[in-house]
Amino acid sequence: MIFLAKFLSIVLALVVISKSYVGYRNKQESLTMFLFWLITWLLIVVLSLFPIIIEKANHLIGQSGTGVDTFFGLTFVLLFFVTYRVYLKANRLEQKMREMVIKVGLRDLSDPNDQS
Amino acid sequence: MKLAIVIPAYNEERVLGNVLKKLPRKILGVDEIISIIVNDGSRDKTEMIAKKYASKVINLPINLGVGTATETGIMAARKLGCDLLITMDADGQHNPKDIERVIQPILSKKADVVIGTRMKNSKGMPWIRVFGNWMMNLMTLIVFQKWTSDSQSGMRAFGKNALNKINHRSLGYEICSETIGEIRRNRLKFCEVPIQVIYSSYSQKKGQNIFNAINVLTKIIMIRLAGKR
Repeated sequence: MIFLAKFLSIVLALVVISKSYVGYRNKQESLTMFLFWLITWLLIVVLSLFPIIIEKANHLIGQSGTGVDTFFGLTFVLLFFVTYRVYLKANRLEQKMREMVIKVGLRDLSDPNDQS
Repeated sequence: MKLAIVIPAYNEERVLGNVLKKLPRKILGVDEIISIIVNDGSRDKTEMIAKKYASKVINLPINLGVGTATETGIMAARKLGCDLLITMDADGQHNPKDIERVIQPILSKKADVVIGTRMKNSKGMPWIRVFGNWMMNLMTLIVFQKWTSDSQSGMRAFGKNALNKINHRSLGYEICSETIGEIRRNRLKFCEVPIQVIYSSYSQKKGQNIFNAINVLTKIIMIRLAGKR
């Protein structure tokens, strides 16, 4: 289960980072947004490869790590991936719809002083 | 000097006529005034009333929010060759007499953007709105690193320089904070002019509510992260 979580987090991180990079290269994403997803997913990979960090943090707040933690960790990774996909799609759709609505609105606008 | 008064309107048949009738016909230093109503997909008689009183009516096919409507008005003003633009709310909360005072710093070349602030004289504004506005000012400061006493004011004026540079991406109310970010990003000269706020039971039902703040905060953070492309 732990191996699966590690493997999955690396694969999903690669997918997200590469997609975000392609978006940035095609000028669909800004550099800050690309860096945001890069740092977030690198953090997820580091935490999944070295869960000792979580365990130490757990220990610090008086908790102990169990298999349930791994399960929730895995769920968290999957949910974060889904959120990322939904965010991208919603944002792009919203902006395209906005451009289209503005274009339709301005279609019939003409300068009253323009006699041509 | 050609001035555009841009009014985004969504289902405002009850008050829009009155707002438009009170708009100034002449302002010293302005040669021409045109009123642009952006009908944001209203389902009532907003379009009919706007056509009766306004110089230009732009009909958006669906309701996407005040951000899209305002940006459409700005683009229309650019297309019509306007040198100066002022936005105001359609719900009657702004006094049209304030228009002349708000555009003055632009006419005298002291500012590129002027925010008509309601917070210098917030008498009549419910305390929950005063609190909400200060919270939004704080959020705007944190996200865009620029302070204004009324980041959510709908009455704002833009000179030619600002009109050419400002570029919004917002769909809804987050446009108010985004403008402050745009002022900073484009290094525009900006000032505030106190304006009167007319709070009727109708205008209180309209506009932003306190619960919308989280939605706006999320959106302005995403706008900040996305930057300008």
